[in-house]
Amino acid sequence: MTTDVISRSTTLSAKPTEKQGQSTSVKMTARNINAFFGKVQALYDVNLDIAGNRVLAIIGPSGCGKSTFLRCLNRMHEVAGGTMTGTVELDGQNIYGTDAVLVRKRVGMVFQKANPFPTMSIFDNVAIGLRLTGGVPKSQMNDVVEHSLKQAALWDEVKDSLNKSGVSLSGGQQQRLCIARTLAVNPEVILMDEPASALDPIATAKIEELIYELKKDFTIVIVTHNMQQAARVSNTTAFFYMGKLIEFDETKTIFTSPKQKQTEDYITGRFG
Amino acid sequence: MSRHYELELDQLRTLLIRMGSLVEEQIDYAVRALTEGDQRLAQLVMERDKKIDEFDIAVDERCMSIFALNQPVAIDLRLLMAALKINNELERIGDIAVNLAERVESLALYPDFVRGTSLAEMAFAARDMMKRAIDSFVNSDPSLAKQVLESDDYIDQLDRATFERMTKTMRESPELVGPACHILILSRHIERLADHATNIAEDVIFLVNARIIKHHADESPAE
Amino acid sequence: MSITPFVPSWQYYRRKIAGATMLALCYLSAVLAIVPLVLIFFYTINRGVSYLNLDFFIQMPKPVGEPGGGMANAIVGTLVLVATGSAIGLPIGILTGIYLAEFGNNKFAYFARFMTDVLSGVPSIVAGVVAYGLVVVPMKHFSAAAGGVALAILMIPTVTRTTEEMIRLVPHSYREAALALGIPMWKTTMQIVVRTAFRGIITGILLSIARIAGETAPLLFTALGNRFWSTSLDQPIGSLTVFIYDYAKAPFEDWNNQAWAAALVLIILISGLSLAVRVVTRSKFVQR
Repeated sequence: MTTDVISRSTTLSAKPTEKQGQSTSVKMTARNINAFFGKVQALYDVNLDIAGNRVLAIIGPSGCGKSTFLRCLNRMHEVAGGTMTGTVELDGQNIYGTDAVLVRKRVGMVFQKANPFPTMSIFDNVAIGLRLTGGVPKSQMNDVVEHSLKQAALWDEVKDSLNKSGVSLSGGQQQRLCIARTLAVNPEVILMDEPASALDPIATAKIEELIYELKKDFTIVIVTHNMQQAARVSNTTAFFYMGKLIEFDETKTIFTSPKQKQTEDYITGRFG
Repeated sequence: MSRHYELELDQLRTLLIRMGSLVEEQIDYAVRALTEGDQRLAQLVMERDKKIDEFDIAVDERCMSIFALNQPVAIDLRLLMAALKINNELERIGDIAVNLAERVESLALYPDFVRGTSLAEMAFAARDMMKRAIDSFVNSDPSLAKQVLESDDYIDQLDRATFERMTKTMRESPELVGPACHILILSRHIERLADHATNIAEDVIFLVNARIIKHHADESPAE
Repeated sequence: MSITPFVPSWQYYRRKIAGATMLALCYLSAVLAIVPLVLIFFYTINRGVSYLNLDFFIQMPKPVGEPGGGMANAIVGTLVLVATGSAIGLPIGILTGIYLAEFGNNKFAYFARFMTDVLSGVPSIVAGVVAYGLVVVPMKHFSAAAGGVALAILMIPTVTRTTEEMIRLVPHSYREAALALGIPMWKTTMQIVVRTAFRGIITGILLSIARIAGETAPLLFTALGNRFWSTSLDQPIGSLTVFIYDYAKAPFEDWNNQAWAAALVLIILISGLSLAVRVVTRSKFVQR
């Protein structure tokens, strides 16, 4: 009867998510990433494993390369004219060995500023990805849109105004609309580039709750300059500084006993 | 809007409640070992203190992780502060159970003498205070916590009475100085146990009402 | 604690006066900009409206001396010429604009952009000469097609530059959002970017159509003009502008009056066109 007490207490001290028996297998792997914009090097030899169905937060001061790294994960840095060396694998396949369009269907992205397409209705904003990438018959479109909006916790707020403009929504709603738009094409990994930095605290809290829910179905990588946000939403945290990955560990470890002095100085607000 | 760390706060509460009932049981066993001279039971109490230490560490770690990851405020913040303090009190009560158990062997030869003191009455009163203090935490019930505060005087009375009776015994029957000293120390331990229960009750009142009542802080506001 | 009263300084009054003056100047300039348009409109109506009747729209021109008659052939001719010019000029202009805006970061694009700018500065009569050389000389006769080519040359730079400008105004974030959804580049450009810039592009198209509909010079030795009914691209064709030009300088008062009426029809045609397209392309949503 006494050993029983111990074993249960040690189970409790672990993170609640790990109890649900979710896979924590590696979803994406970044190996020896060096990224450049023109002659400027933005990332130096970054190696990182991203676990499936978990939230990875990337923190660091402005210009530390965290957004660049995020974009290397679905080749969006190419749109901005960046180049890189090294490999990024999704389920063991090199994403640089195929067409970027195919990669981005599986690795979606949500941006800092909510950017619903202004000439489209709420419905069309969610449906557009599927419409233009194909694969879903029109008859199922309604279901997909509804499901995506529900997943993004926006359905109840917009179900009566699906034909209104996407930009008629509030900032927080627009950002959730953008998340629904990303979910609609059913990616496996969702990259978020400071998704709540332009929102008020309540809207931010809603996005954070959403992220927490979404990790059941998706793997999420979030870049944030808000350390508290990283602490709240993520399972693992990576700290970048000057284009280098300084420390990568369980979020709890990073925020209670980081191993690197730079990490400690940054998260305690001593620099950056 | 639901908050995902609600779950973790709940688990923290559960952890404390389970720790509380284990500590309660420890005190029960220790007192029973004393009154019945049961050395095996005393042994068990001493062995199980390790579990309480493990709970102590688990609660500390959990609090630290919630502080670090969720930046609790208001009621959540008070819960965490109360949890840390209650954890501390419970761990100390656990130690008291061990202290009681450690004297079972020395008193085993004088079962009648032990039964003749008000030690058992004190111990059960103190255990009862502790139980109600923990219940007040479980139910977030400040009125129950207030009752605990009021019971403390009773224990103090018994402690003083025991002191007087033991000094009298020692004067009258020198052969009983040994056991009487043990009883004195035990009485002091139990009095401390009641103090810890009082502290828990104060923490509960702070948690629920956001009012600091220990040291009569609210009666003499700082100018 | 003493209370500071609100005492305006002399600079305050100076600022107020300067502000009010500048505002008044802005209003005045806006009025001055509208005045010529209103004058043209009312003067044309004043001179031309009494000669407008059903016959004017459905009858053919009558010989000198015979009263009445109309300009049915010229009205249709203008429509045919504008349609031909648009059919050639719009696709080229719009696609060039898209190319310059979306992929225009290379030497060839800089060259193309420069040439477009030069082309937009070319006098319209020169465009007529070019069309004469390109179409009339090989065909050995004047034709509506030649007129269409001349008008197309005139509209391409306007359409190209407005399309490019409008597409450049579409924030980069929409492209990124679309690409991040796994939408291919060309679909992103055509379905997202162009769609977002659609209203601006339509405005550019309208401006260019209005411009070519009012052109006379390039038609003089391409479409030439025709007093008889024709809708064939192969044959010379009449147009309102050339008609106005011919009738206005003719020494017959009757013809002069008909020129005024034709001018009125032209103005109505162009403003009606731009009004109609504006209504059609009005955004479904109120823009914020």
